[in-house]
Amino acid sequence: MGAELTVRDVRVARGGRQVLAVDHLDVKASEHLFVLGPNGAGKTTLLRLLSAVDRPDRGDVEVDGVPTRRLGLEERRRIGYVTQRPALLGTTVLRNLELPLRWRGLPRERRRALALAALERLQVAHLAQRPALRLSGGEQQRVNIARSLACDPDLLLLDEPAAGLDPEARAIFFTDLERALADRAVTTVQVTHRPEEALRHADRLVVLVDGAVRQVDTPEMISRMPADAAVATVMGYDNLLTARVTPDGAVLVGEWPTGLHTDDLGPGPAVVAAFANAVRIVPSGRGGLPAVVRGVSPGRGHRVVLLDARLPGERVPLVSHLGVDAPAPAPGEAVCIWFDDALSAVLR
Amino acid sequence: MVDPVYEVLARSALVSLTASLVAAAIGIPLGTWLALARIPGRGFVTAVVNTGMAVPTVVVGLFVALMLWRSGPLGELNLIYTVRGMVIAQVLLATPLITSITMAAVQLLPPELPGHLRSLGANRWQVVVRIWVEAKLPLLAAAMAGFGHAISEVGAATIVGGNIHGQTQVMTTAIVENVGRGEFGAALVYGGVLLALAFLVNGLLSSVQQRSGAWARN
Repeated sequence: MGAELTVRDVRVARGGRQVLAVDHLDVKASEHLFVLGPNGAGKTTLLRLLSAVDRPDRGDVEVDGVPTRRLGLEERRRIGYVTQRPALLGTTVLRNLELPLRWRGLPRERRRALALAALERLQVAHLAQRPALRLSGGEQQRVNIARSLACDPDLLLLDEPAAGLDPEARAIFFTDLERALADRAVTTVQVTHRPEEALRHADRLVVLVDGAVRQVDTPEMISRMPADAAVATVMGYDNLLTARVTPDGAVLVGEWPTGLHTDDLGPGPAVVAAFANAVRIVPSGRGGLPAVVRGVSPGRGHRVVLLDARLPGERVPLVSHLGVDAPAPAPGEAVCIWFDDALSAVLR
Repeated sequence: MVDPVYEVLARSALVSLTASLVAAAIGIPLGTWLALARIPGRGFVTAVVNTGMAVPTVVVGLFVALMLWRSGPLGELNLIYTVRGMVIAQVLLATPLITSITMAAVQLLPPELPGHLRSLGANRWQVVVRIWVEAKLPLLAAAMAGFGHAISEVGAATIVGGNIHGQTQVMTTAIVENVGRGEFGAALVYGGVLLALAFLVNGLLSSVQQRSGAWARN
């Protein structure tokens, strides 16, 4: 059974500046929680508190109801913490895995068996006798995770475990990690700044911005209904525009219609968040938000169109993704913009 | 009466190796603590330790002699003009050096290592031992530096030991005595043997260090 976590009224300051403020956060047993946020949002600070390596200046972090400051050695050993930098020890891969097991008093044969099984799960058993510090970054991170898994933790904390890997290696890495965790009732908290990874693997998502929790919900809900513009940015929305909701629920940018409508927000100022593939380009004169095409370039499976929306007194840059078969506008061409309701969000 | 060279050599090796071991037993834990501890006044303690490296050996000898003198605070221990007294003086000389190098070595390790070891389930003692294993190459260098400092010093050995033939004469004090008497040939012999001893001990430690380093590079 995985561990349960509770974070209560936690505050952490560094150099007189508050870097983390979490009023309340629960993590259920065996849940896969992702913490998403930009660089410097306080993600690693939160993870270090959960791992009991650091203590908050104020408030409590509890693991199964016990504050981390009161955790004994045996209770701490239920927590596995995979740091962003692998921090392997200057010995063989196998000994790196066996050492924490030796600290737990396991006999030699059992240590060896658990270490080799964990390496096998992460597809790196062939590296067992290699000096750990001579491995590539990706291999080191796999060994790092295998070392935590070998100790069979009830709580596994992963700090950007695939940092530094190329996209293809990241995909393989996460597939292998998912497989390694598949038959374990372990609670995981994983830090990332990549929304696509969180959306794919998380049961629940925490969005952290400037050291504060902005939203906690399922990946689907946060993606569909980000709480504010900062969350929308973190979730990968490509376009943010200042807008206005009319009494009948129509969403206007400047005085121009956008094709969006909301019944959830009352009349007043709003923000339109739209993914690039939500931006529909139509010829000028067909209504919508007027814009000028700045450039067109090839993307992965689509074409990227850069636009300037022409609002009174300003030009707002926008990006649109078009299918490779769709007719592309020419740079300098005047067009109009509509937004696809399913891929846009209207926020207050 | 002149002591045979091997007897003086054996005494030199005994005094300096013992002093180095004791200094390492004090300096390595102290340096580790200073590197890891977050305590107020750590900068001041570090400055004191670093100053200790620059204190002239005769000043240390004078201080120890005053402590151990018959009428001094530790006079009842009867350690003045004894090998044990010389060991004490050399411990005081080598400890700041070993402490300072240890501190630098531990500070050069990844700063997240202690926390990382704790998160892997190590208790305090296991964290410290693993840190020493990770820093073994510079720690060996610290031990070598401590031994080199102890075996080559003459001021403290003369003041605290008194260069008594058959009792406290060591290689460095024998060289000074022979040069004083104009017997340069004997002084050169002592010098050569002292150099050979230093080379032997450091060569041994260096080979351990290089083997460890070669493993880490492979």
